[in-house]
Amino acid sequence: MTDVAVRVDRLEKTLGRNEVLRGISFDARSGEIFGLLGPNGAGKTTTLRVICTLLAPDAGSVEVLGFDTRTAPQEVRRRVGVVTAEFGVYPRLSARENIAYFAELSGVGRARAGRTSGLDGELNKRVDGVIERLDIGSFARQRAETLSSGQKQKVAIARAIVHDPPVLMFDEPTSNLDVLASREIREFMVESKGRGKCVIFSTHVLHDAERLCDRVTIIHEGRVVASGPTAEVRGTHQDLEDSFLSLVEAAS
Amino acid sequence: MSSAGIVFRKELREIIRDRRTLIAIGLAVLASPVVLLVISQVSTRSVAQTYTVGYTGEIPAGLDVLFNATGLKFERVDDPAEAARKEVDLGVVFTPNGIDEYYDPTRQSAQIADIRLQTILGRYDAARIAAALQAKGVDPSILNPLPVTVHPLSSPAEAAGNAFLSFFLPYILITMSLTGGLSAALDASAGERERKTLESLLLTPAPRGAVLIGKLLAVSLISLVAAVAAIASMLVALSQIDFGISQGVKTHVALSPLAASVMVWLALLLSVAFASVTVTLGTLARNFRQGQAYATPLYFITIFPASIVLFIPDFNPGLAYYTIPILNAVLVMRDAILHNVVSAGALAVTSASLIVTGALCFYAALRLFTREALLVRS
Repeated sequence: MTDVAVRVDRLEKTLGRNEVLRGISFDARSGEIFGLLGPNGAGKTTTLRVICTLLAPDAGSVEVLGFDTRTAPQEVRRRVGVVTAEFGVYPRLSARENIAYFAELSGVGRARAGRTSGLDGELNKRVDGVIERLDIGSFARQRAETLSSGQKQKVAIARAIVHDPPVLMFDEPTSNLDVLASREIREFMVESKGRGKCVIFSTHVLHDAERLCDRVTIIHEGRVVASGPTAEVRGTHQDLEDSFLSLVEAAS
Repeated sequence: MSSAGIVFRKELREIIRDRRTLIAIGLAVLASPVVLLVISQVSTRSVAQTYTVGYTGEIPAGLDVLFNATGLKFERVDDPAEAARKEVDLGVVFTPNGIDEYYDPTRQSAQIADIRLQTILGRYDAARIAAALQAKGVDPSILNPLPVTVHPLSSPAEAAGNAFLSFFLPYILITMSLTGGLSAALDASAGERERKTLESLLLTPAPRGAVLIGKLLAVSLISLVAAVAAIASMLVALSQIDFGISQGVKTHVALSPLAASVMVWLALLLSVAFASVTVTLGTLARNFRQGQAYATPLYFITIFPASIVLFIPDFNPGLAYYTIPILNAVLVMRDAILHNVVSAGALAVTSASLIVTGALCFYAALRLFTREALLVRS
């Protein structure tokens, strides 16, 4: 699939006195893993926050599946799921309750009128579906405060995908996880790509990016320094890391 | 279910599972009656207590009988002035020309003993004068040309009870409206940032106004429950506490239906207003602890208005004063409890003032909740 799911066009954003984004442009497509790479402070997280409507662009535009983030933010939010390294969960709710809460807020099952109590069939089905898909069943009834970091991250992923968004964004998702949990996240991204989702993967772990991403954009100090298929960006360098370092040094 | 309803249900579920909130409410419900009981017993003991008067000289004939009847116990001492500092409650020197009295006004026992002594001496003087006039064939009633017969409309015990309630109940109601939901309010606002759940919540398509309304409703409900539970437990305790004997019948304090209705209505308004204020402060804070620091000055706001009623019982301001939040609630409750009367104008202004306060704070919270700085700061 080659449909453009996310289009970022000359995006600019200033936070306080810091000019974070200085005219970033790229397209991410359905059915691919798109890597957003750059050193810490390059503007990766700010870019993702603008895409998911948490921040408004100062200039330029962002479209998600044809919906402009300025004029149709709620439509954009319905179509986006975000997983970050900070996988905060509500500690006094169970894993299942955490997922169901976000499902309900995202409108899952809301079309069914006349419901009087409990979760309705559609909502239950959807929640059970993600619980099974992410292998959460064994701790679904446990309060989130008792879960391990890896289990909490699974809950965070589940709540991000429970409304079945066509665009998934992962912002440094493995930075607080151990090796096994990190691998599960990577496998999940590949699986999502296989389901035709547009997966945007923001990371500074270039080894992961090289293995997973179909295309990448490297940003540095708020500007795009390279963009294209992963192999093309790597070019003649031994690996993506070498390419990245030479690009960043050249841009500095 | 609407987004506000979904958030309300989730917040309520979290509150019910939060030990901090439940313990705070439970303690308030249990502690208030206990404190009340202790205060009542201490004050009852003060009334029945015998105070010691250290004296030198000769007690005039007849005066000793009066002293024995009024709970003043006389002990001979070497130096009444020195003894009145520590050993006894009053020091008295009887001389042929009169009485020298020594007492320390900083000691409450000395103040009470002084009042008793002055009362006895007044009666003694009146009796002596009356006897002297009669001896000379003069009717003693000449000293009282315009006799007054007092017909109190309530017993002294009832008056004391209502005066006590008019201070204590508003104070408890306001304090519980604030503290009952404070932890929940900070948890629902600053806690979202601290737990790193805020971003995920704002990423849902739910309108932010609806999210905020759901949170406010949950916090308001728990504040209301806390306030009403504390007042109810206190009234149950008051019904068991004896406030003295009036016409041979033990007197207990109870609220009139009007006062009870006014209190519930004001508890509702106060709970919503405080919920709006505390959620706003929590939204400004980066974490729970910072939110608590921001909310600390609110405790003083609850104490000052109630203190006005305590120290200026007859404070009867114009209608303009009823626009001041919290003070207005205290004044309306005082009138309802003390006089069983509430002016419609005062109640209307008070209600409008508290509703506007709540609405302004809700607007402020909504503005904060929709600002990018909320995320950037976190």
